[in-house]
Amino acid sequence: MKGFAAALLIWTLLSPRRAGGEAWPMHTACRNGNLQVLYQSCDPLQDFGFSVDQCSRQLKPNINVRFGMVLREDIEQLFLDVALFSKGLSILNFSYPICEVDLPKFSFCGRRKGEQIYYAGPLNNPGFEIPEGDYQVLLELYNQDHATVACANATVLYS
Amino acid sequence: MAPCVSCFLLVVLISAGCKAIPSSDPTCTEKEDNRTYNCENLGLREIPDTLPNTTEVLEFSFNFLPTIQNTTFSRLIHLIFLDLTRSKVKISIYPQSLRRCQINWVHEDTFQSHHQLNTIVLTGNPLIFMAETSLTGPKLLKHLFLTQTGISNLEFIPVHNLENLESLHLGSNHISSINLPENFPTQNLKVLDFQNNAIHYISRKDTNALEQATNLNLNFNGNDIKGIEPGAFNSKIFQSLKFGGSLNLSIVFKGLQNCTIQSLWLGTFEDTDDQDLTSATFEGLCDMSVESINLQKHRFNDLSSSTFQCFTRLQELDLTAAHLKGLPSGIEGMNSLKKLVLNANNFDQLCQINAASFPSLRELYIKGNMRKLDLGTRCLEKLETLQKLDLSHSDIEASDCCNLQLQNLRHLQYLNLSYNEPLGLEDQAFKECPQLELLDLAFTHLRVKAPHSPFQSLQLLQVLNLSHCLLDTSNQHLLAGLWGLRHLNLQGNSFQDGSISKTNLLQTVGSLEILILSSCNLLSIDQQAFQGLGNVNHLDLSYNSLTGDSMDALNHLKGIYLNLASNNIRIIPPHLLPALSQQSTINLSHNPLDCTCSNIHFITWCKENLHKLEDLEETTCANPPSLRGMKLSNVKLHCGITGMGIFFIVVFVFSLILLLIFSVKFILRWKYQHI
Repeated sequence: MKGFAAALLIWTLLSPRRAGGEAWPMHTACRNGNLQVLYQSCDPLQDFGFSVDQCSRQLKPNINVRFGMVLREDIEQLFLDVALFSKGLSILNFSYPICEVDLPKFSFCGRRKGEQIYYAGPLNNPGFEIPEGDYQVLLELYNQDHATVACANATVLYS
Repeated sequence: MAPCVSCFLLVVLISAGCKAIPSSDPTCTEKEDNRTYNCENLGLREIPDTLPNTTEVLEFSFNFLPTIQNTTFSRLIHLIFLDLTRSKVKISIYPQSLRRCQINWVHEDTFQSHHQLNTIVLTGNPLIFMAETSLTGPKLLKHLFLTQTGISNLEFIPVHNLENLESLHLGSNHISSINLPENFPTQNLKVLDFQNNAIHYISRKDTNALEQATNLNLNFNGNDIKGIEPGAFNSKIFQSLKFGGSLNLSIVFKGLQNCTIQSLWLGTFEDTDDQDLTSATFEGLCDMSVESINLQKHRFNDLSSSTFQCFTRLQELDLTAAHLKGLPSGIEGMNSLKKLVLNANNFDQLCQINAASFPSLRELYIKGNMRKLDLGTRCLEKLETLQKLDLSHSDIEASDCCNLQLQNLRHLQYLNLSYNEPLGLEDQAFKECPQLELLDLAFTHLRVKAPHSPFQSLQLLQVLNLSHCLLDTSNQHLLAGLWGLRHLNLQGNSFQDGSISKTNLLQTVGSLEILILSSCNLLSIDQQAFQGLGNVNHLDLSYNSLTGDSMDALNHLKGIYLNLASNNIRIIPPHLLPALSQQSTINLSHNPLDCTCSNIHFITWCKENLHKLEDLEETTCANPPSLRGMKLSNVKLHCGITGMGIFFIVVFVFSLILLLIFSVKFILRWKYQHI
């Protein structure tokens, strides 16, 4: 019986998942008192791991994050699109280059499809204060061919 | 006993899975007929039977091939490129472990029959063992990717059949020494990539193994080099050497003594802690020969003219994002510098770069300055040989541009001022740069007083990008003087009343070959608007609101590429079809095309000219509702009188005649009855 359970477990682990469009689990990027940041991968192919070292409403410049994932695309060129919503209304949209051919900002730039990457380091963000409220953030990382590298639906809860 | 039972169950389950998955029919995408196939992310456990034997390029990443052996690809003997990234591949001659129920059983000679195989990608596979002959077979194996495969010892790579190897990628492994095995063939090697390994020391013995390679590109990015044996690079010649993210650059400079390098990349990254650079750091540079150096993202301590005393023979210097507020004045001996990159720095004024130090400069890049950049006056006047100048994304704002700002740039051929703040262009704004061939002003708001002609005197200009410049297109003289202009981009500008009239600003640029007028909110184009443009071979009118009637303006154009995508074209009257017929390629996608009988001539024309139509997948009907979304190529219309209709009409006429005859007969009989 034990063997069967083990086999069943391995079987479920080995079977290709998410084919039916089942969503990835919601993860907590950080939690501190009444502020928490949750995220969920919106890349149908895979999940990824992300955490922020400090979670405070007064966001410091150059916060440290940790990030782990398998690359499904080359990232010689990598761009980030951020869309911020509150109460269903769009507040802010911007696009930021992370890796460019003439300016690879981070040490992971130029790594290849299939590589597993783990990044622990600064983000190069400006500091700002988070006003009270709930926010939805859509983050998308993509490369020169507009192929998705990572996608996250995040929620910032601050009350 | 219990482990064996579970083992058996597991085998049954997995073998069931093996059969079940191909039958669930995830199909590979054909990228090129019978040659190129993409089977990524399909969870495949074997090569699908649907792939033809003629397959040459196979992208098979993110599947499940726990073992590869000589039967795995045996059918596809014409393979040239094989990508097995993260397919959980294991190449071995031994059964991996009987306790794992022989799942990892693999044989040698996997590629024995693949004589044409040129590239093998094994990135991200946890390789346990590669057989001596696992790579034999291909006659010209040129590229081998063993990135992140867990290699810690270079002896792991089977040396047989690597004589033709041009690139070997060994990044993200556990390699601590670059010492290649003694019999490792390097004579054809051009790229050797050791990114993100654990190489801390390079010895003479290590580099001697690379003796036979010529023009090698060697990448040590992401390895913290702590020492290089003196003489290790003595009289070696490299195409490029990369030591990105190294913590101590003086070690690198000292270690590269007497080395000849075309391009040396020593930049650092946001996430790398590094030491500030001083004059002492660069001392070793005096004893080597380097053409091009990149020092991106470094910080300079006490930047002075002496910092650059060993840079005298340099031809290219890249100081991107080096936290610079200026360059010191009086740098001597940098007479041979041809290319200087100062992107993403913190200059306030262009004169702070002290351009006079670089009298031979051909190319200067100051893109993405982090502050508002003031162009000042005459800051670049000493750069008499400058050919290429990029000042894009630098928050530049100027009210009277650009003769004082660009004074004396007589040889400038390429100027990029795109993505800046508003520029006021004077009449003959570029008189100081008469040799300009390409001028890019995209997304920079241009203020031009009518009837000024800012581009007058640019007789050699071939390419002009004015997209999203918020131009006053009613100024007929805006483009005057551009005699040789071949490529004009006016995307995202608007025209008065959404219409290009008979007299318009295009009449002064008769030599145009490529004209882009997309996203200009156009509603109509006058029949004679393009009359003067006899040389056009590419016309982009996409993303407007044009209707079929605007085709009239194309009557005199022949054999062009015509993009009419995303317009408001419903019906094209028959008399305008010849204007389309004489063009070589037409894109009519994303238009609300009418698929009723009132448009039958156009639909018939389309079906006869499918080879000329681009993006047929998105060329669909909008009307009638029953055909909405249907591809135009699939529409079948029956208009005019059908056979049934003719039959009924004949019957009707025939009965009418009969009726007539009978009534005449009746009337006559009735009339003459009384006689």
